[in-house]
Amino acid sequence: MAVASATAVAGRGVRRTKASAASLTPLGRRRRALFWPFIAPALVLYLVFFVGPVLASVWVSFHRWDGVGDLEPRGLQNYEILLGDSTFIDSFANTMLILVGVGAATFALSFALTMVLREMRGRKFVRAVLFFPYIVSPVVLSVLWGFLFRSPEGLLTTLWHGITGSTPNWLGDNLFTVICIGLVWVNTGFFTTIIMAGVDRIPADLYEDSALAGATAWQRFWYITLPLTWDVVATAAVIWTISSLKIFEFIYAFGGTTNDMPTVEVWNSALFIYGSTFGGRNPQFQFGYASASAVVMLVVVGVLVVLLRRVMRRAQIQF
Amino acid sequence: MLRFSSRDGHGLPHRVGVGLVWLLAIFNIGVLAWMGLAALREHTAIFSDPWGLSTFGEFGNFLKAWDESGFGAATLNTVVLVAGSAVVLVAISAPAAYALARSGTRISGVMALFFALGIGIPVQVIVIPLFVMLENIGLINSLVGLFILYVALSLPFTVFLLTAFFGSLPEEVEEAAAIDGAGPLRTFLQISLPLARGGLITALLLNAIGLWNETFLALVFIQDTDLQTLPLALLGFMQSQQYSGSDYGALFAGVCILVLPMLLLYVWLGRRIVEGMTLGAVK
Repeated sequence: MAVASATAVAGRGVRRTKASAASLTPLGRRRRALFWPFIAPALVLYLVFFVGPVLASVWVSFHRWDGVGDLEPRGLQNYEILLGDSTFIDSFANTMLILVGVGAATFALSFALTMVLREMRGRKFVRAVLFFPYIVSPVVLSVLWGFLFRSPEGLLTTLWHGITGSTPNWLGDNLFTVICIGLVWVNTGFFTTIIMAGVDRIPADLYEDSALAGATAWQRFWYITLPLTWDVVATAAVIWTISSLKIFEFIYAFGGTTNDMPTVEVWNSALFIYGSTFGGRNPQFQFGYASASAVVMLVVVGVLVVLLRRVMRRAQIQF
Repeated sequence: MLRFSSRDGHGLPHRVGVGLVWLLAIFNIGVLAWMGLAALREHTAIFSDPWGLSTFGEFGNFLKAWDESGFGAATLNTVVLVAGSAVVLVAISAPAAYALARSGTRISGVMALFFALGIGIPVQVIVIPLFVMLENIGLINSLVGLFILYVALSLPFTVFLLTAFFGSLPEEVEEAAAIDGAGPLRTFLQISLPLARGGLITALLLNAIGLWNETFLALVFIQDTDLQTLPLALLGFMQSQQYSGSDYGALFAGVCILVLPMLLLYVWLGRRIVEGMTLGAVK
């Protein structure tokens, strides 16, 4: 998950350090001689293991291929079949549901937590506790989350039984909802930390002034907190978009093992790719078809990130 | 810290909020504690009495997970693989990041962006070509193959992180070293690297955490039980339970083997971990 975190960059670029006159000094000139030798190993690996495979995926998506025999050109056929494949459509819908639904819930909860946390004692401890799931293996989280909702012996199920007397079959009837709530649980700590860091930069006197003027908590949030943390929220939204499309293990471990896939109803795009290639007892090895869905996924990431940056761009407020 | 709230007093909504937040924190701690306790209980007792503590003290669960279910071998594989990949990863990324942060040419800006794009590419998108590639050189079902993938696929994030760290270092010391006659290579090795120690440790740490938990690539590229990493061992254990009857005591023992090292690391270096992971967003 670490990899997902600093994703903010994609699209923003890394800040150039003082280009200044550095290149004219002897130090700058000698450094330049080292530029290519220094980045060569990383660049070669990056080209071979990222750029090459991305291009190869696009190429393979126009073919029928099982990975062993020859590639059989079939133009756009893979994409046409995708559009009529209900498994793909449902997986894609789940991906979007996670992106929008889980995302909205996570951000709302993170803001609510921030507003409460910043005025309470023990905030650092609580924040650290809420962050922790983010660095735990998603497979583990999935096992624990699943056990809470097991029927009839799960922790929350027995608690529910004690209160209402009924024993719902959560994992059987509403598995995807349970997964979505679990995803909110895992991600909230991380986004709370980011948003809190943004809120902490806001000068306290703004709040003092507004309190003197009689602003309510909601008005303070709407007119001060939200506008002044907007750039942080925008970056966090990009991070969430990218990391939400990568979600795999947490869903997979609900019924998935080294051999089996979870039920099709909970698949997202990432699981779809795995399911139509290497996953399950009888792997499909539909490399061409799965590559087409991979290309769709890549395009969606790209478009969403660009759109998000467009929509959320605003004049930076100086304070 | 902001103290404006004392003026309008802590109203009821705020107190309810504080209560709910603590409830959430207690939930997290509770789940973790319950996991630790369940790992030391018998399977049937966990199911008949999930909230209770009967049959507590089954240390055999850990032996069972460690020996019979292969968590011992998986731990060894994972530790070697993670430590090796993280070190090599930083060794390759650091010079590249230094060059990107310091050269100040147009091309370095473009290259930094080019590397950063890799962070946005889901691994599922490129897994098929990677599989075919490694199959052709006979590195499927091999820890060496997985090691190469771990290093290569974590590069964009690591280069990005370290570029930010090198960029934030003062340049004056390096200039002084240059004036004293140190060549650029020596300046990098003896001046810049030690100065960037904090960033290097953070990069090591974050990659170690990410790779310790990595499941997808291991699932695709490793088939032998002898070669499995910890998350695979856990998935494999769930698999075997479908045939041999489940044993949640041992399952939770296995879960503990995965989580406890992360918990210790978090207690010890939590601040560095959190700051490193949120760096890209807050800066």
